[in-house]
Formats: sequence, C-alpha cells, structure tokens
Amino acid sequence: MFALGRTTLAFLLVLQSWIFVAGQTNRFQDRLEKAAAHIRDNRIAEAEQQLNSVLKVSPNQPEALNLLGTVRAQQGRLSEAELLLTRAAKIDPSFVAVHMNLAFLYVLRNAPEKTISELKQVIKLEPSHVEANYKLARMLLSRGQIDESIYVIEKVKPALPASVMFLSLLGDAYLRKGNAEKAEENYLLAIAGQKENADAILGLARVSQARGDKKSAIGYLAQAKELAGNSAELLYKIGVAALELEIFDEAQATLEQTVKLKPDAPAYLVALGASWLKKPDLFAAERSFRRALELQPENTQGQMYLGYVLFKQKKLSEAKGYLEKAIKADAGVPEPYYYLGLIVQEENEDERAITLLEKAIKLSPSFANAHVALGASYLKLKDYPRAQKELELGAKLNPNDSKAHYQLAVLYARLKDPARAQAEMRIIEKLKALEQSEKREGDTFVIMPAPPNPR
Amino acid sequence: MGFVAGMRIYYYRHSKLVLALLLLVLNLRWITSAQITKPNVTFEEVSAKNSGLTWVHNNAHSADRYLPETVGAGCAFLDYDNDGWVDIYFVNSGPSDFYNASTPLKNALYRNNHNATFTDVTDKAGVVGGTFGMGVAAGDYDGDGWADLYVTSYGRNILYHNNGNSTFTDVADKAGVAVPGWSTCAVWFDYDNDGKLDLFVSSFVVYEKSLNILCTDETLSRRYYCVPRLFKPRSSYLFHNDGNGKFSDVSKQSGIADSPGKSFGAVATDVNNDGWMDLFVANDTMSNYLFINKGGRKFEEVGLAAGVAFSDAGKARSGMGVDAADYDGDGWQDLFVANIDREFFSLYHNQKDLIFTDEPGDIGAATQLLSGWGLRFFDYDNDGDPDLLLVNGHPDDFIEMRVTHVKYKEPLLMFENTGRLFKNVSAQSGAVFSRDFSGRGMATGDLDNDGDLDVLITNNGEAPVLLRNDGGNKNNWLGLRLVATKSNPSAVGAMITWQAGAVKRSRLKTAGGSYLASHDPREVLGVGSSKKIDSVEIRWPSGKVDKLISPPINTYVRVIEGEGVAKSDPTRAK
Repeated sequence: MFALGRTTLAFLLVLQSWIFVAGQTNRFQDRLEKAAAHIRDNRIAEAEQQLNSVLKVSPNQPEALNLLGTVRAQQGRLSEAELLLTRAAKIDPSFVAVHMNLAFLYVLRNAPEKTISELKQVIKLEPSHVEANYKLARMLLSRGQIDESIYVIEKVKPALPASVMFLSLLGDAYLRKGNAEKAEENYLLAIAGQKENADAILGLARVSQARGDKKSAIGYLAQAKELAGNSAELLYKIGVAALELEIFDEAQATLEQTVKLKPDAPAYLVALGASWLKKPDLFAAERSFRRALELQPENTQGQMYLGYVLFKQKKLSEAKGYLEKAIKADAGVPEPYYYLGLIVQEENEDERAITLLEKAIKLSPSFANAHVALGASYLKLKDYPRAQKELELGAKLNPNDSKAHYQLAVLYARLKDPARAQAEMRIIEKLKALEQSEKREGDTFVIMPAPPNPR
Repeated sequence: MGFVAGMRIYYYRHSKLVLALLLLVLNLRWITSAQITKPNVTFEEVSAKNSGLTWVHNNAHSADRYLPETVGAGCAFLDYDNDGWVDIYFVNSGPSDFYNASTPLKNALYRNNHNATFTDVTDKAGVVGGTFGMGVAAGDYDGDGWADLYVTSYGRNILYHNNGNSTFTDVADKAGVAVPGWSTCAVWFDYDNDGKLDLFVSSFVVYEKSLNILCTDETLSRRYYCVPRLFKPRSSYLFHNDGNGKFSDVSKQSGIADSPGKSFGAVATDVNNDGWMDLFVANDTMSNYLFINKGGRKFEEVGLAAGVAFSDAGKARSGMGVDAADYDGDGWQDLFVANIDREFFSLYHNQKDLIFTDEPGDIGAATQLLSGWGLRFFDYDNDGDPDLLLVNGHPDDFIEMRVTHVKYKEPLLMFENTGRLFKNVSAQSGAVFSRDFSGRGMATGDLDNDGDLDVLITNNGEAPVLLRNDGGNKNNWLGLRLVATKSNPSAVGAMITWQAGAVKRSRLKTAGGSYLASHDPREVLGVGSSKKIDSVEIRWPSGKVDKLISPPINTYVRVIEGEGVAKSDPTRAK
C-alpha cells in the first residue's frame, strides 16, 4: 500500500500544499507559489531559498513549514521532514494537507499506526475526503481490521454513490469477512458503474473461489487478463489473485510478465518471489526477493519473505538478519516473529523462541502455527503442561496441521500415553493421505501474508 | 609390563585411585572443542591403475527400473588374513528374479600388498557372491580370531566363514542366517553381553519382480525409480549367536519384529549409557526406529518419544545412512541420519534422558539438495574429536529432468568438528570434493597403516573411489587393535578413554554405521600436537578395565583384554 515513487509523492505533496497556500498574504503567497513551482520543477535549491525567506520573517508559517517538509521528504531526509510537518500540524491543527503529508511520510517510515492516525485526523477535519477515506479503508483492510475498514467505507458511501473504487474495496472487505454474497453484490455494483473494472472482476474470481467454483474463478481471471493489456499494475493484481486462487502456473507467468514490463518495482518482484515459493523453487524465490531489496532495502515484505526463504534453506544466520529488520520496520506483523522464533528454536535458544512466539500470538491470537511452535518449545524444555496447552490449541485452530498432531504425539509418548500418541499419528496418516502422497517433498510452506499491494 | 619398540609401557588394572590423583595433580579437564592446531588434511584419490582396485559395480540398470538396481552396493575394510593390513571387499549385483547378467558378476576381495596396492584374491578366497548383493558386515562371529563376512542381498544372504587359510566357506544356511527377501545393512554386535557377536539385519520393502510398479512421468513417457512409499514394509532380523556356529532368530521375542520398516542404515550404540547396546535404524519414507536394549532380553522402540523418528514437522523422511558418536564430548552418544534431497539431514544431540534434539547447524544448509547414504563420524585430522564425512547421490537417474537444482550425481562433504558445531571444510579437503558421484557405501580404514584414516566409497553402477588421507598423521596418534578374551570379538561396546596433557577424550566402540559398509575394526586415538599420551583406559563390555600408562605414540598396538598391551602391530613410519 502507498508504495509510491518519491517523485510522485513529492508531486502530490506539493499539489496538496498548494491548495492551502492560496489564502495567505500576497507576499508570502507569491513566495510560496514560487517555491511550489520550483519543487514541481525539481529546482530544490531555489524552492528552499523562497521558503527560507518566508520562514525567516515568519518562522511559524505553517504552509512554508509544510512545503519545506515535502522538500525534505523528497530529499530522503525523513526525520527532518517529520519535524517540519509535525511543527506545521501543531501550529495549525486544522491544516488538512499537512496531515495528509504526514500520512504519506509515515508510509515511507513504515509506521502504519501513525499513518492511520493521520488519515483519521484528515477525515475528522474533512469527513468526505475521498483519498483519505479510501487509503484508510485499504490500510485497515490490509492489516486485518476488516470491520473498521467496512465501517469507513459504508460511512462514506452515501456521500460518494458512484465511486467504483470504494465499491470494489468494500467487496474485498466483505470477502475477507467471509460474506461472499455482500462481496459479490458490491463487485457487481462496481462493474455496473464501470464495465471494465478489473479490480471488481478479480473480486468476482475470488468470490467464485470462495464458493469452490474454480472454473468460474479461472474464467473471471481470464476476463481480467484480457483487460490488462500491458498494464503492469493490473497484471500484478491478476498475478496476486492467481496466487490466492492457487493457480500457480498462471500466477507465475503473469507475474513474470509484470516484472518484464516493470523490472524495477520491488512490490512486483516480491510477488514474483512469492509465486516461486509455491512452485516450489526456493532459489528463484530468493533471487526475486534479493532483487526487490536491492531496489528498496527497507521493503518490509521483501525482508520478511527473504528471511523466510533463507530459513527454509537453513541459512539461519542470514535469515535472522532479515527477519529482525522486518520486525524493526513494522512491529505489528506477526509472521516475522514467528519465523524468527522458529530459527532461534533451531538454535536452541528456547527462552528467546518463546518470547518471540508469544509476541506473534499476541498480534494474532488465532495464529495456529505460532501456538504449535510455542508448544514445541515448551516440549523441548520439558514443560509438558504448557506444551500440551499450546499444542492442543494449535491443533484446534488448525485441525489439518500435521505438525501440531506430531508434536502432540511426541508429547503423549513422553507422558507414557501410547494410545493417545498413536491416535495423533493416525490423524497424521489421514492428513497425509489427503495430500499428494506420491510426491517426495520437503516440508510444506506455512501460509504467508498476501504480497503487498503496489498502491 | 613390557617393552615395545624401545619404549617402556606400563599396564595397570583397576587403578582408579592412581588416575584420580593424576587428574587432580595435573588439573585435567574434559574438553569439548578442538584446541589443537589443525594440520592441512586432504583426501587424494588413488587411481585404480595405482591401487589395482579394478572392480566396477554393475547396478543391473534396466528400462524397467527395478528398485534394487539403485540402492547398492557396499564395501568393507577388513583384515581377512590377519597380517595387520586392512584388505578390501566389494559387493556386486548378481542374478535375481528380474536380472540375469550376460557375464557373471562377482563380488571382490582385494588383499593389501602393504605398499598401497591390492591384489584381487576373490576366486582363490571363494567369496564371489552370486546373489544380487547389497551390503557387507565383517566380524569374527565364532571367535576363532579370523574375520568372517556377512553379505546382504536382494534374495538370499551369505555368511562367509573365514577358514583361517585365506579361504572362506558359505555357511549361511547351516548357521541359520540366510534370510530371504531384501536385506540391506547388517551389524555385528553383542546385544546380550554374552561375549559373542549377534547379528542385526535390516530388511527393506516387500519386493519381487511382479510387484514392480509403473512409476512414470507423463511428460517423459518413461519409467523412473518408484518411491519406496509405494511398497510394504518388512520386519528386520535379530539373530542370537548360540556359540556353536549357529544362530537363533530372536526377531519376535526381542521385539524387533514388532516394528516392520523399510530399513537401510543401522548402527549399534549405547544411547542411555546403561551398558547395553541399542540400535538406531533409518527407514525410508517411514519413521526411523530407536530400539532401546532392555537388559539384553527385549528391545523397546522409542523413536517417536525420543524425537528421532520424524522431521520436526512430523513427516516421515527417507532415512538412508546413519551413524553414532559422542561428537561434543559430553559423554552421551549422538545420532546422525541422512535423508533425501529437500528433507535435510539430521544431527540428533543426546539430551541424556532418551530425548534428542535435531541440531544440524551448517550441515542443514549444505545438504539441502543432497541425498545421503554412506556417512561416518571419524577423526580425520587426529585432533581427538569425531569429524564427519558424507557420501551423496540421488537414487533416481532421471531426477534432473523432473526437479530443478537437484542432481543425480552429487558431491562428497567433509565437516570438521569445532566442538558443538561442524564446519564445512569440503573446499579445503581435496580436489575430489569438487567432483560428483553416485555415492552409496562408504567405509573408513587405515589402508597404509600410517595412522590416519583413509576412505573407500562405492558408487552405484560405477567404479569405487579410494581416498588416501594426506596430512591426518601430522598430528600424533595411537592405534589400538582390541583383542577380546571375554568380551565379544569386535569389542563392540568398549569405552576407550585417553588423556594427553590437559586433554582427555573418550570413544565408545560402536558397530555398523554408514551404509552397506563395514569399517577397519581398529581404533585410532588422535592427540593433536601432544608428544605424549599419558594414559589410555579400555573399559571392556565384560566389565574388565585395562589401563595403559604412557603408551607409545604414532604406532599400532594390540591390546588383549585383561592383559593390556601385548605387542606392536604393523605401522608405517611417519
């Protein structure tokens, strides 16, 4: 989300700021206008000169502080940008543009909670602010705050009846909530508003998949692909949808096409890597993630995925580094804690593993794998009551998890309860029979979060 | 007391007090990591032209891809003529219900000429085989002082009794160990501590020509080797040595037969330090088995509770080669099992309460795409701790067409023990580590009696590879040939403890290990750069303890149970 290029971002920041400089004194207005024009033309030194002349006379001039903040953001001096923008917001708390700029800034700084807070501030000041509402709803949805996301959209929907963009997003939210009917209703409304709405068509594909109708899902996917042409963004979405629909060959081909069209987009490379994981080809996946991180070292998804793929290859020390970076960048995502927990568990740091796995569970209480891993750590430490509690909870949350049943079998065997141990082993046998049992393969991958959205 | 090669040797029995005082005075300690300057050790390939080992394995490869074609075969280092130099035995394929060779295939026995060359004495010795051979285990089952050979097969197994005159006689039927079906690894060990070598025989799947399944890839339109998961498991065998040239099948009464498997590698070791040898058995596409010896009467299978049966995710893997050693010097036997590609190999660290944790360290990443067979913990640089050699090769010759990044022929890997971890030193260990092989069996032994352990590798369908250890004897060592008088003839289960300066180490004499192979029965004790060994203690399975004070170094000696050092054995000067 919000993965905008720096130039685009600066441009948007400037435009928004510009609206709000119009009401200032003529002299200031003139200089601010000039500064905005210079920023637009990438004449940063001249823009700074204009802004400094304003701030010299009026150090608390919020528009000037806001513009200088955008300049600093464009220069990559994010801490200074944050200082300037927060100062502007403090001087004029009703300054909508500065809150939008702060929201963008916090995206760059990987601080989603702060982004959400700033977007809410914008909406408080201007309830029908289309972009703020849309971004907020998307962000909440991407963080799994589905009801809050729906609330934001439903609240703003009457004021924006024809917004196809919102309808499609609402469909996504309802689908995530498990309400296929409401999701379909909103996707169809979106298509009624815009016949060739690829987002909504992809949504219908997901609805079909949720209903177990893979054939229709593939049909919708093909329909969306026809609309995509050479649009990298659309192809990316189709690739991600194909990944979700578990049509891995299609996903891979589409994402390869996407990356070919736009080889320097980190989000696309991360998604391509995710498709390689499903192949599975860990080496190709690793290459994609590494390339993404070359382009954008702070890409949290890239760090997490690379950490994961290195962990799967038992390159534990390097994996640890990337997962720690991912956690540092966004402490609100459970998966990096989980994988880091698994790594330190392998390295016999069970106490640390427990701390990490507990953090993952705190962030996502129904994270079945984390409960199982936590149980496994307690099992290693021979704390059998705690092990049993976590493992049984893990198995309850995901009854098809062989690892949970295996760890329970080991536990019961150690507790000298062979009957229960054997019962767990029989469950594993049944689960194995459901898999493609003829394949010789390594451990399967734990479900990872969906690849990032480029917007 | 006696004099050997000009050096004074002292022998004490039960001198615990003396040893304790010595430890106290010298402030000795057990060490858990390599502290010795590392010599540059490489393995140099000895060509067939130079060694005379011209035998080549024939895997009976066919378009029908019968499974036995791809799992053989094994090899042994043994001293069949008691001249103090290890000889070599190779196992070959042979007639079976799915294969008839156009020219008869033979196993091979090569006599060591004492100059790094070998002479083929197979026909003279009468050990040609004639079955579809798999593995071999050498052991003096009748205690007559001559090493016998047990050859496993797809079909009928062979027990070659060593006649003591450089010839052998197949006595498998008479002894009651012919065993039908498909056998893989065999281990001579004394499970009931009665002083005689008993026999464990791994059984692979239920298989015959008519049961061969069509395993094919639609895109290739040709057969590949089926995954063993598709075949039924069989019980392995345990034979009790009755001491009269005959064995009793105790598979059922011992509990071994209660756990049918698809067994490959097996190693006898004592994982709970109770003085009774246990068995760790690798199974392909099934859980591995850890059979705990309950006082020499029964075996209890505890693999699940011990944590060595499955992967951490609860998946049965393709266990093939195994070995056991106390790699971290904590006094407890650890286990190793090699699996197929993408399953990772496991180094199971003993937690001292019949629970193991998988701690492969760098071995994990290095073996991600490999399939492991022959493997062995041995001290390749004589610094005193066990290092690890892995022999690899994928069983499916079409694998490269079906799976990316995985190859049919695979490299060898050498890991050096650094205490609790193993470091991959393959790149520094010789040019042979940059080559790929269809590796299967692997045995270790000192073929030139120079005090460092050499390696013999058998490749499926190809010539074997003989690797000479160059540089391992730059560190000092003492070689022991243990001659039992009351304990079992191979001294399996003996605990050897040695001390040089501030460093004290110990080693349990295990049996089996690796894959389809049998190793030099002598023990080489490395002491690093120490110029002197202060003491060696041998705690025999019978309970007897022999102590050698200030034994010689850089030589082989023969130690007779209850008598200490008797005389020196052949040794090549450093």
